Amino acid sequence: MTLVTREDNKAVVQPSGDTIVAATIPELRLKMRDIVGEGVRDLVIDLSGIRMVDSSGIGLLIATYNSMRKLGGQLAVVNASNELLELFRSMRMHQHFSVTGN
Amino acid sequence: MNQNARFDCELHRSLAATIEAVEDFFVEFHERSQAMKERINCFEAELLIREALTNAVLHGCGEDPRKQVGCSLRLRGKRLLIAVADAGEGFDWRAARAKSADTLGCSGRGLEILYRYADQVRFSDKGNLVTMIKDFDRGKLS
Repeated sequence: MTLVTREDNKAVVQPSGDTIVAATIPELRLKMRDIVGEGVRDLVIDLSGIRMVDSSGIGLLIATYNSMRKLGGQLAVVNASNELLELFRSMRMHQHFSVTGN
Repeated sequence: MNQNARFDCELHRSLAATIEAVEDFFVEFHERSQAMKERINCFEAELLIREALTNAVLHGCGEDPRKQVGCSLRLRGKRLLIAVADAGEGFDWRAARAKSADTLGCSGRGLEILYRYADQVRFSDKGNLVTMIKDFDRGKLS
C-alpha cells in the first residue's frame, strides 16, 4: 500500500513495493491523481524503498510534475538510490525538478 | 541460468505477452542473478531486459496473452548478451531513434535507455527482435 503523509497542501508519498514499473504504475497513477486533485501543491515522492524505475515509471514522474506545474505547485523526488539518480540524470529529469539521493 | 561450453550461463524463456509474465520472469532472474553479482551490475542488466521485454509485450504484442515473447540471456565472463523477440509487426526503429525525446514527454524513453545503457543495440530489419550486448568490464556510463 502506498503511504501518503499529508500536512496542509503538502504531501509525502512513499510508493509501495520496490519498483515503479509498468506492472505497478496503475495504482500509483491513481494515487497521484487523487493527491493532485485534493489540492496538494507541494509534493514529495520518497523513493527510499524503491530499487527499480523503468521508462514507464519515469513517464509517471514526469506526468506528475507536468500536473503540478500547471497548478503552480512543485514536485521533489528524494531518497533515490545512486543507480536511480544516475538514471534520472541521464534522462535529464533534474532539469525540471529536484531529484536527490539517500 | 544453465551452464554451457560457449557461455558461462544461459537463460532462455518464452513468456505470454503480459506484464504479469514479465514480473514472473524477474522473480526467476533475481534468483539466478544472485550468483553473478560479482560479474554484472544487476540494476543495469534488469533495466535493459525490462525495457526490451515491456516494449515487446506492450507495443509488439499489444498485451495479447495468446502471443509469445522470447527472451534469451547469455553471459560469458562479464559480457551479457540479451535477445528479446516478439511475434508482432515490428516498428520503424530507425525513425524512432532519430526522434529526440521531449524531456517533458510522458513516453518514448525506452529506446533511449537501451542505447544509453547497452554497449551495442541491434534491431532486426522489421524491428521485432532486439539484441544487445552489455560489457560490465567497460565500467560506468559516460
